[in-house]
Amino acid sequence: MKEKAVLVKPSNRIKDRSILGQILIYFVAAIIAFITIYPMYYVLVLSLSSPREALTMRVYWWPKGFFLGGYERILSDIRLWTAYKNTIFYCSVRAVLNLLTSVLVAYPLTVRKLYGRKFVTFFLLIPMYVAGGIIPEFILMTKLGLYNTPWALILPGSYSIWYIILTRSYFHSIPESLRESAKLDGANSYRILWNVYLPTSKPILAVVALYTIIGVWNSWYHASIYITEHDWQPLQLYLRRILIEQTEQLGDSMNDAEALRRMQESQISNNQMKYTVIIVSSLPMLIAYPFFQNYFVKGVMLGSLKE
Amino acid sequence: MAEQTKILSNGSKIRKVRRDILQENIEVWAMMLPVLVVIFIFSYIPLWGVVISLQDYKMGSPFWDRTSWVGLRWIVKFCESIYFKRLLVNTLRLSVLQLLFSFWVPIIFALFLNEVTNLRYKKIVQTCSYMPYFVSSVVVAGMAISFLDPNGIINNIIVSFGGQPREFITEPNAFPTIYTVTTIWKDFGFSSILYFSALSSIDPALYEAARIDGANHMRQIWHITLPGIKGIIAIRLIMSVGAILGSNTDMILLLYNTSTYTTADVIGTYVYRMGIEGGQFSYTTAVNLFMSIIGFTLTYMANRVSNALTGSGLW
Repeated sequence: MKEKAVLVKPSNRIKDRSILGQILIYFVAAIIAFITIYPMYYVLVLSLSSPREALTMRVYWWPKGFFLGGYERILSDIRLWTAYKNTIFYCSVRAVLNLLTSVLVAYPLTVRKLYGRKFVTFFLLIPMYVAGGIIPEFILMTKLGLYNTPWALILPGSYSIWYIILTRSYFHSIPESLRESAKLDGANSYRILWNVYLPTSKPILAVVALYTIIGVWNSWYHASIYITEHDWQPLQLYLRRILIEQTEQLGDSMNDAEALRRMQESQISNNQMKYTVIIVSSLPMLIAYPFFQNYFVKGVMLGSLKE
Repeated sequence: MAEQTKILSNGSKIRKVRRDILQENIEVWAMMLPVLVVIFIFSYIPLWGVVISLQDYKMGSPFWDRTSWVGLRWIVKFCESIYFKRLLVNTLRLSVLQLLFSFWVPIIFALFLNEVTNLRYKKIVQTCSYMPYFVSSVVVAGMAISFLDPNGIINNIIVSFGGQPREFITEPNAFPTIYTVTTIWKDFGFSSILYFSALSSIDPALYEAARIDGANHMRQIWHITLPGIKGIIAIRLIMSVGAILGSNTDMILLLYNTSTYTTADVIGTYVYRMGIEGGQFSYTTAVNLFMSIIGFTLTYMANRVSNALTGSGLW
């Protein structure tokens, strides 16, 4: 009877193993999960401890000398909010533009009798393998007068050939008969794309939008090249000034040259700022990703089909 | 008579079909043309801009300027400079570390977690492992720098075991390790997705058959699981070899500092410093071009080797 059950529902797991081996496997898996989670949790603990404890890092599991002053200070910093606002702006604009460019190029590529299909395919393939590199791109930006404007991030980031190809292969899975019957009803290509293709392609649209948002949220490299104006810089550059270059002076305590003690105090609390700012900037993504992780997994799968 | 009308209507039908195809093409070309123009501007013009590597480019002159033609001067200059050897060695060192460690961690992780039978437990561990992927590299580098501080947690642990605190972040010898460990932490979970999907597509009947033949766990892993993901490993390996000269510039720029240049400076960071911050446009474009050519050659050779050995490759 037992044998039969196995035959009916076979699993691709290796069975029949020792209890000890089982315990060991679960234990090591727990350690791996701990290693990935703990550094972030530790930052949270530091951000909630008193600045002095945070400086010496002699807290491990629970905040010592519970202290919310760090958050109070960081949240009252106007530059954080400017940077936050900019990042949300870049994320939403680039997500919308990437969706738009992906579907607008992917749909024509599914048309059966497309003139110049070979040309378009080559045109899209070449930039996937060769790129001019950062210097010619930088020169182009200055020539177009986009340097130090938000367009320098938005326009080159408005498309991704990778997303176009993903979207096209998804569109290919939509039955041709749907298009034909829409045509018989007198719909033109725009209507077919809007009313037939887009409603059935929500998963791939979600993949494109979410990958764009997470990518833009976490990127700093291009912004550091093109945007030197603080007013237009995204969150990650603000973070970099605090965490890596440690040049950002928070609050106004440094301006009034008082006693040395006060200077040290402010250095100690500036040190803690690093941890609070990490939490404040990463929290939205950390809260959201467990709900969206399936789309990211799907993106990897769809991508690997092409390889 | 009847025959004639039939031919006539056939002809008009063909004309109508042709007109419909033309109509559809006009519509879809109008749809994609604006996007193609944007792609042309931002992907193709920079490609053309690579010609400045053969010129003495001055800011503000056009990309094609006959008068400033200098041929291979910049490439020769780079090959003769001390940076050529240093950048090449540093890049290769970091890439070899990636190939030896970072590459295998996601595979081992996937193989390992595949052994966990409780699906919910497995899912939780997987979700945890994806977390660092959603944290920005600025944050990851920032955490690494403050944890490795002389007052940081790592040194606290070393001291509590009776060691001497060290300033890791300014130690050139420590950089390759710091870089490798941070990138593994950030990427291993997300990179393992591909292997999980490959593992789940292995035919369960194979395991049944192996068990009936009396194969134990290790033999089943060796003879069924590993061959099942061999193809995807080969492809990832070729891609890694192709990327051997393109290290993770983004991360290195954040982690390195003037005292670790001797081991941390790679092509991407050198181009960033000399080109964007130093304004040597022609020279750095030449450096970049030279390295891309070597990288492409490596990918090509890796692909040939893989095709010969495993029968599968990128192309």
